[in-house]
Amino acid sequence: MALSMSRAELLPGQRRWSIGAVAADVGLVIWFVFSLFPIFWMLMLALKNAEQQTTTYFSFSPTWSNFATVVSEKGTQMTSVDFKASLLTSLLNCGGAVIVSLVIGIPAAYAAGRWQYRGSNDLMFQMLSFRFAPELMVIVPLFVIYNQIGLFDTKVGMIWVLQLVTMPLVVWILRSYFQDLPEDLEQAALLDGYTRRRAFLMVAIPMVRPGIAAAALLAFIFAWNNYVFPLILADSNAGTVTVAITKFLGGGGQAYYNLTAAAALIAALPPLVLALTIQRYLVRGLSFGAVKA
Amino acid sequence: MATITVTNIGKTYGKDVTAVDDISFDVADGEFFVILGPSGAGKTTTLKSIAGLVDVDKGAVSIGGVDVTSVEPYHRNVAMAFESYALYPQKTVAENLASPLKSGRTGKYSDADQAKRIDQVTTTLGINHLKNRLPRELSNGQRQRVALGRVLVRPADVYLLDEPLSHLDAKLRAAMRAELKQLGAMSNTTTIYVTHDYQEALALGDRIAVMRNGRLMQIGTPEEIWRRPADTFVARSLGQPEINLLDGVVDEGRIRLGDGSLDVPVPADAPVQRGDRVRVGLRPCDLHVTSDEGSLRGRVVLAERLGRNIELTVDVAGAQLIALTSGRHGVGEGDAVTLRIAESDIHVFTPGDGDTSRLGDKTLEAVQ
Repeated sequence: MALSMSRAELLPGQRRWSIGAVAADVGLVIWFVFSLFPIFWMLMLALKNAEQQTTTYFSFSPTWSNFATVVSEKGTQMTSVDFKASLLTSLLNCGGAVIVSLVIGIPAAYAAGRWQYRGSNDLMFQMLSFRFAPELMVIVPLFVIYNQIGLFDTKVGMIWVLQLVTMPLVVWILRSYFQDLPEDLEQAALLDGYTRRRAFLMVAIPMVRPGIAAAALLAFIFAWNNYVFPLILADSNAGTVTVAITKFLGGGGQAYYNLTAAAALIAALPPLVLALTIQRYLVRGLSFGAVKA
Repeated sequence: MATITVTNIGKTYGKDVTAVDDISFDVADGEFFVILGPSGAGKTTTLKSIAGLVDVDKGAVSIGGVDVTSVEPYHRNVAMAFESYALYPQKTVAENLASPLKSGRTGKYSDADQAKRIDQVTTTLGINHLKNRLPRELSNGQRQRVALGRVLVRPADVYLLDEPLSHLDAKLRAAMRAELKQLGAMSNTTTIYVTHDYQEALALGDRIAVMRNGRLMQIGTPEEIWRRPADTFVARSLGQPEINLLDGVVDEGRIRLGDGSLDVPVPADAPVQRGDRVRVGLRPCDLHVTSDEGSLRGRVVLAERLGRNIELTVDVAGAQLIALTSGRHGVGEGDAVTLRIAESDIHVFTPGDGDTSRLGDKTLEAVQ
């Protein structure tokens, strides 16, 4: 009551000032600075040369040379890992993992969203539980198995293992999209004379396109950022960029923090570019006007 | 064209939500069959069972004498208009209408054939100018026409229409109702039409089935349903304002209502004896205001003008009766009036709370 009274006294457009509101704003600003500071710090680090990297804070002479070093032959010699190649490997691994997840996950999500049967929820929970379990829990048996069946350090093996990361994500996100979709449209397609498969492809898929974009993007980012699987299950052939970055920290010799930062920034670009490209597909609204609730 | 036979179908959702409970009916070839009932009565489930979109738990559906209970929807050759319209949002009106023609299961059509059929339908429905629009660019009335067009554009054994007019405003609804009735295809093809609007049901139906809580209460022609409602539920479902229901006791050829100072004659076909307790139903539109002497004398408590008619609430011997008058008599609130009702317009039901069945007319009683 008191709240609505004080609201009523405000003029339209007038802002309500109170200690609480100001404190909340200040708190948000502090949180904002706190959470963005590591990125800012990394950006600075990437612009410092080797001499200044540990001796300066904000005052230094910036240079772009670190970025060039990371992708050059010199960088490869320093770390014995070709950073450019690992970038490409990451793209192949993650792209492959996302595509496989979509091809299998979209129909799976549709089935899970449309048909309830005994144990269907248990099955979905089982799938999600792969995400609960720490990767370290499965990594030792996986390492043994991969060695035995010859998948160690292969791209196929990496794509396969990354399904543990991407598949649950794709299925769970898209299942809720399919559940939100009114069944009437697919039923109309059935009565138009189309099979369930055609109804799924022709009607349901176009309607969840924004969901597919969102799920694919998230899956790609999660796969891209994965570190443990490539660290243990891959080497020079299928090693990804996340592992390659850490090589600049050196294995006992000098740690090149500035090069590490530059490498990390380069590695952050592909997901960023992808996010910006598919941004427009993320907008919902395709279903507007189709069905009156 | 085909007959439809529905035999004892039942459908339960989850553990304890019974949508349809043991329903049977036959629809003749070319008949316009209306299913009337309040929301949640199981009308749509019944319709979707016939379409094959709902798998029934028990019972059978046959179309044209062939049992189709386990036949996939796309093999049943039925066309359906959905309450939600269910137009493909990414397709234009023309593409929506072409969809059933392109599936290959409703016949083979060349591009020219398709264009010709679509043209015919859009002309009939007056949506020629909308062909290249997307569904989201249409008004509800236009969407409804497109949904109807998608039904009419193809040959089908059965048309199923699920509340096609329910989202339209009152004026448009009346106009579309008249148009529907005049559509040639509708009068030739077996059609099942679901609605909660009794006026639509009475105006359109060759026969009407009244549903409630997943059960069929009565099947009959509009005339039968209106004149011989099987129970008080059916009687209350039809007519606005609702039928007046009064408790009474049978006396020498009269039924005494309310406190006893009010009575109506016993209808000739009502099998009642002196001393029986009954419920009497009197439709507001059957109650006529007269200046003659009569037994239904009362005082007007409320007079509401509803356009052409005036709805009178009349206090008759302690009971409130609703009556519709033409409004020419100039009856106002507080006036004393006499109401008259024809003996054939008096409905007698068994006494009790809730909905009770009609007395007499055994042959026309509820089908179950």
